Amino acid sequence: MRERTLMIMHYLTGLGILVSGTIHVYVVFLTVPANLTAWESTLSFDGFQFAILPVYRNLALALSLEILLICTTYHGLNGLRIILYELFQGRSARTYVKYALFAIGALLLIYGTRTIIIAHSIGGP
Amino acid sequence: MIITSIRRTSRQNLSKVLTTMLVPSRYTIERWSYTLQRVSGVVVMLYFVAHVIETGYVVGGPGVWYVPPYEVAQRSWETVKASLKDPVFDVGLGIIGLLVTFHTINGVRLTLTHFGYTLKRPHRPEFPYEVRSFTNFQRGLFWLSISFAVFSMIYALDTLLGVFRA
Repeated sequence: MRERTLMIMHYLTGLGILVSGTIHVYVVFLTVPANLTAWESTLSFDGFQFAILPVYRNLALALSLEILLICTTYHGLNGLRIILYELFQGRSARTYVKYALFAIGALLLIYGTRTIIIAHSIGGP
Repeated sequence: MIITSIRRTSRQNLSKVLTTMLVPSRYTIERWSYTLQRVSGVVVMLYFVAHVIETGYVVGGPGVWYVPPYEVAQRSWETVKASLKDPVFDVGLGIIGLLVTFHTINGVRLTLTHFGYTLKRPHRPEFPYEVRSFTNFQRGLFWLSISFAVFSMIYALDTLLGVFRA
């Protein structure tokens, strides 16, 4: 793809992170029940509305996590690509950087999506 | 081979590029924003990878590619949760909050700049060579990102550790 398209996607995914990341931070840190500390509430497995598992079970919130995963993977790896292209110049170095980042991105996406899908389908106790 | 292609970028040149990237002294405030944007981006990316690995234990860890029983997933998560009970992680999260907030607002500034908003018209370079395309609005956004970042770190540390509470 042309560099211009990649950069516009960089900005769009940045905007996506801004939206879905705000939802993520709100759900994780700003919905603490009165009887729990922030640490307890953030890492609680189950038991109240915004504990870990109920967030994954909620389809809309799980989808927002998936969007956050995709946007962050693209945005972060494209940023690394720009830095590494400046450090290692020359055609072959760029090819290796490109495919290494593709591989890291695929691993992150597959592993993260697996977590979201499985956590979404875990039933009750 | 990657080794040969890295060798082709001579070591001297590599350190030169790294120094240019990471040492913004003697330049304008925009160079500081550039360096901070890159450093914060790389650090947050490292956190993101660690976070994806960590949240993988909500369903039982890297070996689980099926829907596990509820108790198995819960036991796996409780083990990880116990290992996360360390103030080092809370302070780390505060620093990540600082870097993310800075990166976000400064990133909005860079996006606006990329498409030409907030920039003044170009002009001939004349003595004393002040770059007039840098507007007060831009520099204001940079300082806004710094102050929001510091605020969000204080807020995060207060929420997690209660350090600034009486």
